[in-house]
Amino acid sequence: MNNRILGALRSPITFSVLAGVLIGALFLVGTGADPIASYEAVLTGSLGADGIGSTLTTGTSVLGMALALAIPLRAGLINLGGDGQLVLGGITAAVTGIYSPLPAPLTVVLALLAGMAAGAAYATLAALCENHFGVPLLVSSLLLSYPAMSLASYLARYPLKEPGSSLPQTRALPDGVALPAFGDSTVTWGLVLVVLAAAAYWFTDKRTAIGYEIRMTGLNARFSAYAGVERRGLTLKLMSVSGATAGLVGAIGVLSFPYRFVDGSLTAPGYTWTGLTAALLATAAPLGTVVASFFFAVLQVGGLAMERTTEVPRELTQVLQAIVIVFLAARLSFPSRWFNRRKEAV
Amino acid sequence: MTPPQADPAVELRGITKRFPGTLANDAVDLTVRRGEIHALMGENGAGKSTLMSILYGMTRADAGSVRVDGREADFASPGDAMAAGLGMVHQSFKLFDSLSVAENVVYAAEPRRFGLVDRAAARRRVRELVEEHGLAVDPDARVGDLPVGLRQRVEILKLLHRGARTLILDEPTAVLTPAEADALFTVLKSLTAQGRTVILVTHKLREVLEGSDRVTVLRDGRVVARLVTAETSADEIAAAMTGRAVELDRIHAPGTPGDVVLGVSGLATDGVREASLTVRAGEIVGIAGVAGNGQSELIEALAGLRPTSTGQVTLLDADITHASATERRLKGLAYVPEDRHAVGTAPAASVAENLAMGHHRTSLSSRGLLPPAGVRAHARQLTERFGIKASAPEVPASALSGGNLQKLLIGRELAHEAPLLLVEQPTRGVDIGAIQNIHDQLIAYRDAGHAVLLVSAELSEIRGLADRVLVMYEGRITASYDKDEADERTLGLAMAGGASREAVTVEAVD
Repeated sequence: MNNRILGALRSPITFSVLAGVLIGALFLVGTGADPIASYEAVLTGSLGADGIGSTLTTGTSVLGMALALAIPLRAGLINLGGDGQLVLGGITAAVTGIYSPLPAPLTVVLALLAGMAAGAAYATLAALCENHFGVPLLVSSLLLSYPAMSLASYLARYPLKEPGSSLPQTRALPDGVALPAFGDSTVTWGLVLVVLAAAAYWFTDKRTAIGYEIRMTGLNARFSAYAGVERRGLTLKLMSVSGATAGLVGAIGVLSFPYRFVDGSLTAPGYTWTGLTAALLATAAPLGTVVASFFFAVLQVGGLAMERTTEVPRELTQVLQAIVIVFLAARLSFPSRWFNRRKEAV
Repeated sequence: MTPPQADPAVELRGITKRFPGTLANDAVDLTVRRGEIHALMGENGAGKSTLMSILYGMTRADAGSVRVDGREADFASPGDAMAAGLGMVHQSFKLFDSLSVAENVVYAAEPRRFGLVDRAAARRRVRELVEEHGLAVDPDARVGDLPVGLRQRVEILKLLHRGARTLILDEPTAVLTPAEADALFTVLKSLTAQGRTVILVTHKLREVLEGSDRVTVLRDGRVVARLVTAETSADEIAAAMTGRAVELDRIHAPGTPGDVVLGVSGLATDGVREASLTVRAGEIVGIAGVAGNGQSELIEALAGLRPTSTGQVTLLDADITHASATERRLKGLAYVPEDRHAVGTAPAASVAENLAMGHHRTSLSSRGLLPPAGVRAHARQLTERFGIKASAPEVPASALSGGNLQKLLIGRELAHEAPLLLVEQPTRGVDIGAIQNIHDQLIAYRDAGHAVLLVSAELSEIRGLADRVLVMYEGRITASYDKDEADERTLGLAMAGGASREAVTVEAVD
């Protein structure tokens, strides 16, 4: 165990994060701000009593999307269509929530399942494009994302638009069609669902035969193909689970405040890209993905708090994120196993 | 041969190089006289490659000095080494397939005219070199169209064009037919007769004995023997390389073939035409041939990794012509592929994980679960049974030596106890000591009543192990010999396309 702690401290991830924090401090000094006060504002703003709820809400979406991207990434597949799957999950959940004749609690469950199914189906389409038409997954998933977002946007602006509202949003969901929240906070059962998904991912990765096949495919796709792992089938399975997870995040977003689908509200915070960064940072390892997601949620929420209390623009936290990523990318440029994995993925 | 002159072509003194955890070169002295063919021998990890990369400016030594043609040298890059008259032919050729021979030869040292490449001069220059050194090759041919032996000549021409006086060849015959290898040595001898020097890095005893003047043997980073070829023997060199007496080129007793396990009739796929063969239980069938004559494609098709366009394949009477790799494995096939790093293992995964592959859906799992404890126990059992030296099941497979990685791969596949084993190049790049162990394992597997189809570029291996030998040439099985007919000369001829007998009729498969 001691070795593992030592290893974690020495890992390039720790190094990248520390380097990001230090260089960020230089930026802060350069803009005339007090770095210690600024970082303090980030921490109290995100982890203090006022901020923790917000961090957990943001964390729900970031972790959800990070899982959605980590699951295929574990096998070396990159799903760049998270936004499309997320939005389709959201709009499908909204439609289900508005029109379902079932009692509210059942409607919530149905909306979640419908959102997952929509995301899964759409991600599967990207997988089929790779399997049958030779379109690289990277391309097919990314390009399919745009029509999905446009479709959802159209639905929210025209057929499903809230009458009389000037905003591009659907009607609100009926009373009671919402994920229960914890106390007065904005944190809902959505967090529990996403954490359960993370636990399921951890278990699959560590304890099951398919999890083993996924890992081996990620480490050396030719090796697993040689031993009989069928790549196309695996791509389909992983993409459907990935899309379902993204759809779940969308459905959770709609079934929480503001209890409707607002055009752009799911994609504007960039959960997909933050999630992808977290998954890459953790090399898609289950626990690492959870930790990295939480880290980015803290940065995102804490950055806003820093802007409020110290005049430092929150873009600085994005600079911080970017520096962390650049340092990690520097490691990627060495011919490590990571390099191989990325080559195979593309 | 030119008499030794005052200054040796290459003189290394006290070269020491330490990598984390190993001393790759420990005070190595190497003197290569001008005009000789000097063989540098040693098992994998003995420090040959490190020593040569230090000489060639690719790695820096921690201590020691390098002198080339009597001058102190401290090369910071291969460019410096080339400027000092060294040249190296790497094991994998560094040529542009789509360019002509002349373009490849003059690359990076092109004759220029008005600042542009002077193509006519380039062709002329190559023709001169070809004539001067008797290296017949057409300057206008596209390199991609040339056989391997000729591509190697292009590499040598490249070095001569740049004025290399000392040529370093890394495992030059690994991809050549015996005839091509002989031709190479003729060329090398004519080069040394002109006063050039050749350093030959190799582990093949036969060609060292036939082609070199002196031999330096490395073991564990140290020089353990300096021998004059004319006064030594294969046994002496092998003993120096391994540190113990080794029985070379053992011919194993034949097996007792039983029922047909694998039947192939008229199989065609990319690179394979109309291949028919059978392998029986308790029999090793060897496929000899120069790399690239369809052996890999044939084996891949049999393993289910390459679609079969026509023909029929049966395994234990079941038709598996169009079965997937998984279905074939379930029906009783195990497979040791040629490329153990890119195909046979995931080097970044642990030893235990690598050993679990294929067993993870059968003996090690129940209802889709794969308990880590079972994977570890399986790994401990196999490492013990097959003598795989790994400090722990958790270490990454990339930490194993080539021989140990190969033992891991062979152990994992043998442990399936599949009726049919496909095995390609089981001992390529493996130390002499480990070769014996691997051969014994394969013979024991055969004697336990399994069928083995062996592909190897090493004739001695084929002759030692196989009960029957097939020869592949240009995608066809062109000859078949019984164990006692398969001598080196006959096989060598057949591998070069001169099969003395027509494609042999093979028992029809029902």
